[in-house]
Amino acid sequence: MLIAENVRKVYQVKEKKGWLRQQWTEVEAVADLSFRMVPGKIIGLLGINGAGKTTTIKMCSTLLTPTSGTITVDGYDAVKDDRFVKAKVNMIAGGERMLYWRLTGRENLQYFGSLYGLQGQALRNRIDSLLLQVGLYEAANTPVERYSKGMKQRLQIARGLINDPRYLFLDEPTLGLDAPIARQLRKHVSELASQHGKAILLTSHYIHEVEELCDEVYIIDKGRLVAHDTPEHLTKSLHLDTALQVVIPSLSDSLDYDLRQLAQDYGGSREIAETDEQTWEVTLRGKTDMTTPLLSLLAAHQSPVLRLSTQQPSLEDVILHMADRRGA
Amino acid sequence: MKQLGSLLWAEIIKEHRHSFHSKMIYFSLLVWPVINFVTAYYSFAPFRMGGDSPLARFISYEQLPLYLLTGYLGYIFYWCLVQSSWQMSFERQAGTMEMIFISPVNRLAFLYGRSLSSLIEGVWLFFCFVLLALFFVDGIRLSGWWAPPLAFLILLVSAIVWGGFLCVLFLFSRDASFLYTVLDEPMLIFSGVRLPPMAFPVWAKVISFCFPLTYALQLIRELLMERASLQTMLPSMGLLAAVLLVLVTATVVLLRQAEKHMKKTGNMVMY
Ligand SMILES: Nc1ncnc2c1ncn2[C@@H]1O[C@H](COP(=O)(O)OP(=O)(O)OP(=O)(O)O)[C@@H](O)[C@H]1O
Ligand SMILES: [Mg+2]
Repeated sequence: MLIAENVRKVYQVKEKKGWLRQQWTEVEAVADLSFRMVPGKIIGLLGINGAGKTTTIKMCSTLLTPTSGTITVDGYDAVKDDRFVKAKVNMIAGGERMLYWRLTGRENLQYFGSLYGLQGQALRNRIDSLLLQVGLYEAANTPVERYSKGMKQRLQIARGLINDPRYLFLDEPTLGLDAPIARQLRKHVSELASQHGKAILLTSHYIHEVEELCDEVYIIDKGRLVAHDTPEHLTKSLHLDTALQVVIPSLSDSLDYDLRQLAQDYGGSREIAETDEQTWEVTLRGKTDMTTPLLSLLAAHQSPVLRLSTQQPSLEDVILHMADRRGA
Repeated sequence: MKQLGSLLWAEIIKEHRHSFHSKMIYFSLLVWPVINFVTAYYSFAPFRMGGDSPLARFISYEQLPLYLLTGYLGYIFYWCLVQSSWQMSFERQAGTMEMIFISPVNRLAFLYGRSLSSLIEGVWLFFCFVLLALFFVDGIRLSGWWAPPLAFLILLVSAIVWGGFLCVLFLFSRDASFLYTVLDEPMLIFSGVRLPPMAFPVWAKVISFCFPLTYALQLIRELLMERASLQTMLPSMGLLAAVLLVLVTATVVLLRQAEKHMKKTGNMVMY
């Protein structure tokens, strides 16, 4: 188990004040954060830019020393016993860095494996199985500079798994990936936890990504924890409305009436607007998902559906809401 | 030990891929050092160092080619490591430095392994050239068959220690590229690559003794040109050993400080 207790990180930042003068200011990136990671579970760290996600991950992976507070990994202190901790953790960041572009995929893994003291047949076997696992077996001997973004990201995952870490930190792993590739990657991440028993900490800007993958979510803002819950509870307790939008070609009086009724039944609201293209845009807002009843209602009225979309509350909405609630 | 071998091998492959992506490399591996050597030779030749020439007190004319050959060999070894440590800034940019420091790899083994592999990659061709040339130059005076291998060993070990030290400096600061300038021409002039430091005025001698290459070259020349026996070499040997000890100690101490500093400020990703 990884236990982070009251972890705080303050950066000292030098500011130039004219020619020779400079001033040190303190930036509190993470404040009083506590959490746990257990094998087989994925926890999510959610926050907007600069919230302190990357800083938290780097402290857990021994790349940064906390200013105060402790992080222990299976009983080892991440600062004092970092040698033991390093063998058990690894980090994967989104983007295309952290690889040697002129080396092939296999050579990259060989290099990083040798940093962990792996060698010979054992290393070759590990590399083969990782390459298969991330679907890069065919491209193993191609230089990384010729890889696509998605392939680089998958190689990063293989790199992050090279030491078979028990604790894996993923820093915005889907950054800049196309939707289908991001989906595939999320599937892989969830398998890493459920089938390989890894404890995973995932950071993201995307609330739906965290909802889909995580067993628990920590929302942080300016380094402070604003909420900690399961994703379901979080969205429920949030009381933030999801907007369901449907575009239909015509609107009869009876349909209009039924729509209002539907919204009322679910404790939500209804808006109707005529668009430029002589169609009607109906928006239902509510805490519960009204997609299924709405579709059956439309079917009953034999109304075609031109477009259907839902709008999740944005992360900013959630964080603002949380911060407000805490303040209140 | 085997783990070290595997790390070394991986470093060599990495180095190889990074340098051997075009044929241009052969230019910097051989053509450039040979041109340097030849230019140096012909700029001295017109002086015809007769008995009255100022340099003749330090190098005999027949030994001039050998003197320059050993000088440039030493310089290429040391310069290769300046370049290699400069590559650290690319590791920083590529984010791979973080991935090295996230691992439990022995930091010293990593630094010295890195130096050794850059050496192997960077000097083999010129080394072969020098080896070949040794058969054609005059003035080789050995006190035993063991002298050339020992000279090679001394050059190799001292260069690796030097390389490890430079790497640490680049770990510490991302603005260490000034070293590149400081170590280029000055090292060539003051370390006695072309001219013996003994011929320098005092102020220049002082600078000379700041470059570890000075001590290494001194020893190598004693071995190859002055028929030095182990006994007569003892003073220079001791001096070089002392210099290397200081470098290794500084490396160990600075390495620890550098990592601590990086973990505190998070500057490992800044470039
Ligand atoms: N090395 C550093 N030195 C000084 N300040 C830093 C450093 N790294 C981060 N910060 C500051 O700490 C705060 C948290 O940064 P961090 O990178 O952890 O945020 P993040 O949640 O990962 O943001 P993003 O979503 O943009 O990746 C920011 O205000 C940032 O400016
Ligand atoms: Mg970040």
